[in-house]
Amino acid sequence: MVMMMAPGGTKQMARMALEEGAEAVYVGVIGWSRRGSEHELTDADIHELIDYAGERGKEVRVVVNTLPSSIEIPMFLERIEMYAGWGAKGFMISDVGCMRLVHERLPNVDIHTSVGCGITNYEDVRCLAEMGATYVVLPYRMTPDEVAQIRANSGIGIEFFLFKTPSGGKICPGKCMMSSYFSYRRWLDENGKDHFFGSASRGGDCLRVCQSNWLFNIEDASYRGMTIKSNPSLWLEELPAYLAAGVNCLKVPGRDRSDELVRDLVRFYRRVLDRIAEQDHPDLSPFREQLETFRHRWTIERGHRDRRLIGEAEREALRADRAAAQNPSATFELIR
Amino acid sequence: MFELSTNVASPKLLQQGDYSAYDALYLGDFSCPKFPDNFTSHPELLAEAAELVKGRGQKCYLRLYAVPSNHDLGWVRELVEAAMALPFDALEVHNLGLLRMLREMGCSKPLHLGVFGNLYTDATARVVKEYGVTRVYPNPELSLKEVIYIRDHTPIEVLVPVHGKIPLVISETCFILERGRGEDNPCTFLCDEEHWLTRSEGQWSLKDTGRMTLSGSDLCMLEHVEELAAARLNAFYVQSHGETPEFAGKVGRIYRQALTAAFAGQPVGDLAPQVAELSVLARMGLCNGYYFEGAGRRYVGRV
Repeated sequence: MVMMMAPGGTKQMARMALEEGAEAVYVGVIGWSRRGSEHELTDADIHELIDYAGERGKEVRVVVNTLPSSIEIPMFLERIEMYAGWGAKGFMISDVGCMRLVHERLPNVDIHTSVGCGITNYEDVRCLAEMGATYVVLPYRMTPDEVAQIRANSGIGIEFFLFKTPSGGKICPGKCMMSSYFSYRRWLDENGKDHFFGSASRGGDCLRVCQSNWLFNIEDASYRGMTIKSNPSLWLEELPAYLAAGVNCLKVPGRDRSDELVRDLVRFYRRVLDRIAEQDHPDLSPFREQLETFRHRWTIERGHRDRRLIGEAEREALRADRAAAQNPSATFELIR
Repeated sequence: MFELSTNVASPKLLQQGDYSAYDALYLGDFSCPKFPDNFTSHPELLAEAAELVKGRGQKCYLRLYAVPSNHDLGWVRELVEAAMALPFDALEVHNLGLLRMLREMGCSKPLHLGVFGNLYTDATARVVKEYGVTRVYPNPELSLKEVIYIRDHTPIEVLVPVHGKIPLVISETCFILERGRGEDNPCTFLCDEEHWLTRSEGQWSLKDTGRMTLSGSDLCMLEHVEELAAARLNAFYVQSHGETPEFAGKVGRIYRQALTAAFAGQPVGDLAPQVAELSVLARMGLCNGYYFEGAGRRYVGRV
């Protein structure tokens, strides 16, 4: 049985996804997941959603996949224990040290590795399993053969995104610090949580500077207005092959998309998965046209998001430049 | 005292450069196995190189490929088998899977966790220590305070980059090839030349070496060597991937002199001429990375 896990970027989005047929939703904790706070939920919302899902025989999995500061780990563990006590069934985690600690304290909860773990081979998966992972999320580009090889070598749960980067561009998740190099600011909130604006890995949004207009010169040719990373795209046709290869958790992306788009995507993929379950050699061609519509909607929403985030990166960089010009020694004082 | 190290990708670069300012060399380019005569992918070149480096009285570390796919594991295993029989002082690993594989192979060499090992916490440092890691290169996003915390609370040795471009992104495909001739065309090693990604708004820049993107500005901690010594940090690194051997030689000499003074408790004096020399080598200027808790591209001078 494959689990469809859908995003809960808002409480409303999570509810709609569960109603449309997702077995589980994943929700981020403010300051602790790799998204901006507008796509993360408060503790009260998470508690309410866990109860809501439980009443319907469904699950909530909690995204705590930032790479924290060492001193934040006790706070991190306290939160995990609280959510597990409320009934959260699993956690998405990037830091392998935290993964180990959660596994030792709560051996019965599922631990999903986050994309931040940057898996590239089956030995990675075996290592992460030793550290307590029960599901690994595989990178967007892996083929069904590679997935099958990983499954055969590890026996661990395999989670796969319903969007893929066919080829080209840089690896992003877990191996990129481009955003924070340009725009990055830290501050402590009232609970002592360190916020890392501009760092995808440490929390807050990746500010998508790779999607800006870059100039690149290669062999006397100038490439203007190019992006550094290719964007992943929703996919469909290879779904039976990936399921046969051992994928047992399908992750609908879109915590930072609109509630309506996520609702429609879950409804769509629910129908696709039901069709695959019903037939040995399912014909997915009737779904192609609708997939194209979703890709179009996805691209439009992504464009809005990227422009907003790049604007934030520019404003933050400008703000920091001005602050540094006014007080060039201010940051240096921090280590004295 | 302290150790100053840098990286050398191939026998050609090892022969061309003057690395006498360094106590240790990391051999190999961990980003691209196709780089000509890369130590990281050519086991037949290791014996001579190790002998040469050790003969100069330097420590010799071998870098392993940072993003191996399933199909790379076989040749990496062969490389490790060759290295285990040679006098390497340590192997550098960026990938958890390789860490596990090395333990399974019974590798008795000390292991160093590389920059793309994604080390952010002392909890993770303790886990990798169980796998044989003795030195970690904390993620560049960490501040000096956080680096010191990890060293003290794991405890473990930390490698502190003091100069050179900051590795920001690594990929399993070549950006220069993809964006230029196309990824299906043969590699002609265009990465031998400099490639810059620039953006006019905000004057943003990055250096691209194909499979790795680096900061546009050069990290420079020369003006802070006294603080580094006072903090009892003692393993320093000059990042010279994508640079000429002359760069590594000149930067190494400048830091050797300043660090020697700082560790002897002597005043390092006015470093303005040396900073000026380093600025000449840094086409897009100098920065302090994330050490002082701000964005990576800013520079904070001595006050």
